[in-house]
Amino acid sequence: MTDAIQTISPETLKTEYLSAENCEFFASAHGFLGSKIKGKEYKRVILTRALPLTEPDKYICITDVEKTELGIIEDTSVFSPEQKKLIDDELSRRYFCPVITEIKSIKEKFGNFYFDVMIGDFKKNFTVKNLNKNIRYHGEGFDLIDVDGNRYRIPDFKAISPKSRRNLEPYLY
Amino acid sequence: MKKGFPPPFPPERENKNKLPPWVIRALEEKGLSAEGLVFACFCDMDNVALYKDSWLFFDNKGLYIASGTQETVKPKRGHVPPEPKVTIEKIQSIPVGDIDSLTAERYTSTGRLVMSENGEDVPLTYFSLGKIGDLDEFARAFNSYKETGETGITPRMDDGPGKCKKCGAPCPPDKDFCREHDKNKGTAVRLLKFFGTHSIQIAIILALMVMNAAAQVFVPQLSTRSLYDNVLSGGSPLEQSIKALGVLVLSVVGLRVLKTVITIIQDYMSASIMPRIMYDIKVRIFEAMQRLSVGFYSSKQTGSLMDRVTRDANNIYWFFTDGVPRLIIDGAMIIGILIVMFTMSWKLSLIALITTPILFLTLVLGDRLFRRMHHRVWVMRSRARSLVSDNINGQRVIKAFAKENDEYGHFEKESDAVRDAEVRLGVAEATLFPILDIFVLLLTTVVLAFGGVMVAKSEGNMTTGTLLSFIVYVNMLKEPFGFLSWISNWWSRCSDSAQRVFEIADAMPDITEKEDAVGLENIRGEVEINELEFEYEPARPVINKLSLHAPAGTMLGIVGKTGAGKTTIANLIARLYDAKEGSVKIDGIDVRDLKLADLRRNIGLVSQDIYLFIGSIADNIRYAKPDATMDEVIAAAKAACAHDFIMKLPDGYETRVGAGGQSLSGGEKQRVSIARTIIQNPKILILDEATAAMDTETERNIQASLGLLTQGRTTIAIAHRLSTLRDSDYLAVIDEGKIVEYGTYQELIKLKGEFYRLYKIQAEALKTIGIGDTEGVFAPDETEEEKHDD
Ligand SMILES: Nc1ncnc2c1ncn2[C@@H]1O[C@H](COP(=O)(O)OP(=O)(O)OP(=O)(O)O)[C@@H](O)[C@H]1O
Ligand SMILES: [Mg+2]
Repeated sequence: MTDAIQTISPETLKTEYLSAENCEFFASAHGFLGSKIKGKEYKRVILTRALPLTEPDKYICITDVEKTELGIIEDTSVFSPEQKKLIDDELSRRYFCPVITEIKSIKEKFGNFYFDVMIGDFKKNFTVKNLNKNIRYHGEGFDLIDVDGNRYRIPDFKAISPKSRRNLEPYLY
Repeated sequence: MKKGFPPPFPPERENKNKLPPWVIRALEEKGLSAEGLVFACFCDMDNVALYKDSWLFFDNKGLYIASGTQETVKPKRGHVPPEPKVTIEKIQSIPVGDIDSLTAERYTSTGRLVMSENGEDVPLTYFSLGKIGDLDEFARAFNSYKETGETGITPRMDDGPGKCKKCGAPCPPDKDFCREHDKNKGTAVRLLKFFGTHSIQIAIILALMVMNAAAQVFVPQLSTRSLYDNVLSGGSPLEQSIKALGVLVLSVVGLRVLKTVITIIQDYMSASIMPRIMYDIKVRIFEAMQRLSVGFYSSKQTGSLMDRVTRDANNIYWFFTDGVPRLIIDGAMIIGILIVMFTMSWKLSLIALITTPILFLTLVLGDRLFRRMHHRVWVMRSRARSLVSDNINGQRVIKAFAKENDEYGHFEKESDAVRDAEVRLGVAEATLFPILDIFVLLLTTVVLAFGGVMVAKSEGNMTTGTLLSFIVYVNMLKEPFGFLSWISNWWSRCSDSAQRVFEIADAMPDITEKEDAVGLENIRGEVEINELEFEYEPARPVINKLSLHAPAGTMLGIVGKTGAGKTTIANLIARLYDAKEGSVKIDGIDVRDLKLADLRRNIGLVSQDIYLFIGSIADNIRYAKPDATMDEVIAAAKAACAHDFIMKLPDGYETRVGAGGQSLSGGEKQRVSIARTIIQNPKILILDEATAAMDTETERNIQASLGLLTQGRTTIAIAHRLSTLRDSDYLAVIDEGKIVEYGTYQELIKLKGEFYRLYKIQAEALKTIGIGDTEGVFAPDETEEEKHDD
């Protein structure tokens, strides 16, 4: 085969696993994440989780702004604390989810669930349609997805107040 | 909105892309004038992703982000909501000259507005994902304004909370409709309307039900009171007692017979009208479903539509055939029993009534308790059920991977969960119900004690018979009360279902015909796509400023990577979706201005995923033209090279296909679906990978016959295999919703670009398997090339 059509080769099929040796992160002047991978510098890289629900710190895909994959970090814990903080900050920005601190009430009407919750000091109302299809369990807690596609997180369902738990429990499973 | 409806109030709805007056005033207090404002948008987070009300806007000098708080005051019922109180805390302003462009980036649950400044990305504010449509529009407006001085966006009207979506009248901020149009309120009324056509029968049924209840109430008067007081009380001669007993027995039997007759008539009548009403409701749903656009069906939130419709219709059916009759009979019985009880002894009745609320309360509490358990059982059961259906549908795959045992394990696990939940519920019910019975026993004991004293004192005509029948009445109250305590749940489930049914019936199709839509009797078939933009989800563009032109009678080939947006273009031409920006024109008329029926009749779409309806092959081919003769069907099948394989089937054209019918191979299905389109005889033919599942020879034959048929017809062919497109007059290469190359076959080869690369890949592939001269396979014949030059 000629070079012209050689878009897939053993080389391209091999996943580039990156670790502290061949990959270094830095914060750009404006707070975005940049990276130096195998000696090449990228002003801005994007991190994506392969297993966002169960393994948020493993299998992190690094892409450039054009979404071309640069490599995969198998486990972020191999990085130095400073480097890991940069990674975690970027991931938490991208995967940021408002955290529900209290569920004041849930009204079920016509298959819609009207939530009245507190997110820190902020009172928030949102609507979830079809609750069992719009809930994503992870570890001890779960994310709720409302009709607009916004997610709200309860990191640990056992840690939330008993009253909040009672409000939601009848609708779970 | 109805014609001649009073003008919406407040008279003018706000323009969504402008700032509301109270925000402008708050800004002015801070010394910022919004006079030259071009475009604005509301944003709900700040730059550290905390919830914060903020307003983004720009004029010809700068981009401003004003953040602060907005307090909405809850209006009184039916009043115009008062103006929100706005305080601006911070204004960030960026000179327009510093910003190269804006983008709204999509994250998991939020989004972020990012500006680019000298090639550097600078983050601005976060917003919650639900706002990405607005923010994306804002970014596009800004970019376009900076480039051309126009935002290029038609102003939108705000029809959000606060105003009724139907008439614009004020309504509570958390509702979409005013009280008149609030569907939730009207569910019962709307359901009852379905019964309106049968009002006479229903009146008769109601009367029968009341009679039924009266008969039941009367029975203890004879069977208990008379028995004790007139027969068993002694004192009268034996002969007379036996005579009285005979009369008694006969009248009790007579009453029972009467009751049975009434029940039979009543059931007979309701059995004859309920199915009719259900028919009306189902037809309404089905009709509405036909009207809705494709988008409704693929939207994520719809869930399993079919399951929902049948289940909801069943819920309504059972409520009205089982629930309502019992409600009426039980209601009438309670009233009747109470009247009888009070005439017998008001004192005892009061004593009995004081204790009944306790009974009622325990019933309601018990029901609360069980609801959660019932829900759990229900969820477990439906999980097990979906596992079973998943398994049946996936049997082939399961067998291919030899996963039978694992699947069995899964099912065992789910079944265990079902069993445990059911056992728990059963145990709880088994303990609670006897306790409830003790309550009833207590109640009767109290009544018995008081009554006994009254009999002993012969107070107020109290006799043994009266007391005993009184006790019977108290016990008779138990069941109707129990029923009343959960009928409200039953009703809420029924109205849930009714609401969902009405939701479908009321859903507005995204794609509607204009009132002054143009009809097209004879079209030439010119297709023109202008700067088309489209996205299924906000800020995820699928088609990006795409322009294409297929003159009438030509063939346009479209190639491109998988996921490039080819099928989407086909869908947009047939107006299964509406474009976001730009237009699709047929014979120079925007498809949105055309009558839908005319448009679809003239466009034949052989789509990538083929669906055959349940029925015979002939019926499927005849789908677009039910009155087609058998000659036409055969001609179409021949043109699609389907005739030969159909004739090999034992049932020929009468072979049943579709779900549950004969399995056809992928290529056979494609051929049937091509025949279905050929018979429609459309002016514009769109073939979306229509021959991808066939061998090259069959494909050639179909192309040849299509070639004969497509004379004077515009054909848009989408394919991965370049050989499929060898007859195209023009070719377009599409990538990420954009045209990357456009021209004739020869031009594109000469260009040595993307098309040439594809061509080389496919040619090389043939070479490696030993087909030498590839040029001939792909290049159009000489004669055709001459045709191009003409
Ligand atoms: N109903 C939908 N909702 C959301 N996204 C969709 C929908 N249909 C298609 N897409 C997305 O739009 C993009 C274009 O899809 P399209 O079907 O037009 O591709 P295509 O060019 O026909 O691909 P193929 O060659 O595989 O048929 C894809 O990324 C796809 O995931
Ligand atoms: Mg496609």
